[in-house]
Amino acid sequence: MSAPDPVELLLQTARDDASPEEFRVTGVMMQYYVVCKRELWFHSRHVEIDRGNAAVVRGTNVDETAYADKRKHVSIDGTIAIDVLDDGRVMEVKPSSALVEPAKLQLLYYLWYLKHVVGVEKSGVLAHPTERKREDVELGEEESERVENAIRGVYDVVTSDSPPSATEKPVCDSCAYHDFCWSC
Amino acid sequence: MDRNYHIFSDGCLERHNDTVRLVTLDGEKKYLPIEKAEAVYLHGQIDYNTRLVSFLNKHGVALHIFGWNDYYAGSVMPKRGQTSGRTLVEQVRAYDDPGHRVDLARKFVAGSIHNMRSNVSYYNRRGHDFDSILTTLADTRDRLAETTDVAETMGVEATARRAYYSTFDAILPDGFVFDGRRYNPPDNETNSLISFANSLVYANVVSAIRATALDPAVSYLHEPGERRYSLALDIADLFKPLLADRVIFRLLNRNQLTTDDFETDLNSCLLTESGRQTFSKAFEESLEETVEHPRLDRNVSYQYLLRIEAYKLKKHLLTGEAYISFKRWW
Ligand code: SF4
Repeated sequence: MSAPDPVELLLQTARDDASPEEFRVTGVMMQYYVVCKRELWFHSRHVEIDRGNAAVVRGTNVDETAYADKRKHVSIDGTIAIDVLDDGRVMEVKPSSALVEPAKLQLLYYLWYLKHVVGVEKSGVLAHPTERKREDVELGEEESERVENAIRGVYDVVTSDSPPSATEKPVCDSCAYHDFCWSC
Repeated sequence: MDRNYHIFSDGCLERHNDTVRLVTLDGEKKYLPIEKAEAVYLHGQIDYNTRLVSFLNKHGVALHIFGWNDYYAGSVMPKRGQTSGRTLVEQVRAYDDPGHRVDLARKFVAGSIHNMRSNVSYYNRRGHDFDSILTTLADTRDRLAETTDVAETMGVEATARRAYYSTFDAILPDGFVFDGRRYNPPDNETNSLISFANSLVYANVVSAIRATALDPAVSYLHEPGERRYSLALDIADLFKPLLADRVIFRLLNRNQLTTDDFETDLNSCLLTESGRQTFSKAFEESLEETVEHPRLDRNVSYQYLLRIEAYKLKKHLLTGEAYISFKRWW
């Protein structure tokens, strides 16, 4: 028997169909997939580390307050939580341009999920309130493929017995697992 | 860093609005800055109630209770913020696998021997002749690799510790004899001090373990016990030379503690209240000392080293990455 395709598993789980195994991917898992696969593995295993460090709450403040009046929070299946603007576009807010790539993949994943699970096609907008910039994001052929490859990638990470080894990168400094990874 | 608060007077510890208040027997009131507290150590006769316990629990603060004769009496631990079934499963798995268990036991002992050796060589450079002890310690460390079970590993540990303790009589100032380790009750000043110091190290490790999802009762070198958090014993051994013994030597050699700080009973010798106070203060200061951590690339306190040790073990258990026990590097 060949291994099931993670994309199929995810869709079956989301549609509540009989599925050989449950497989869910949240938006934050998509972000971790881009930022650090080791962090994704820790997150998936509920390895929680309280570093008692302010840096750990990265990004959440901007997210909470920006555009609060112009958007609706919508939660789907308890797996993804999206913000919908008045004009129907899905918005993702990111605090800094350093985190654009992960935010973009997360947004694309939401669009993909809406299309394949909920059955609605939406456009997205990526907003950077601190930089007063917005970027339109559409789910095309190429983007869909990117999302599906990421889903397979996430699956590989979260189902492996051990995490990818630590590699030092700039985000490590503000990562909740910093001392966990580097105290050796 | 979160602080420890030691209470030596007798009285009552209570929740008062959103603070913790100590009311001593003579009616004096003191307030504890609970937001900054890691743990509260009770050394005197203190009454407290469930309201206080829930309040401390809410703030994640532990209560460590020290009795009179058998210094460490127990802890009231806050509900663990971190629980992880997987961590516990991996912890037990490693315990259950004889090869894995002895490997971890050896690592704890290797670290302990290294840290004992570090103290001995410090005094060796300061006018003592401990060359043969240093050799013995190096030999025991080498013998570790050949141990095949935990009992044997424990035996090597005991040999090393005996050699290590044999230096104490030379290091200690006149008026203090050691003459080997004795417990329950300690029969001389030095033993009494070691008991007290070790139990402070132990209680701090209990707090450090609580910050991870490790179960303090599942251990490797020591047999998991019912009465004590045996994992805290495993980890505390690594740190006793640094956190307990060095403070003891310093205080005694500088005359900050003298034989007047002890009370001798029929067959026991215990620190007086003021002696405990002096020691705890020096101990807390030493917890706050910092050292440059080569991998974290910043200064960390000795107290944080305890936390790091718990992280390292947890990481090993969850990821399979090697556990390297604490060895003093400076
Ligand atoms: S500290 Fe660095 S390597 Fe470790 S999980 Fe965080 S980002 Fe990844």
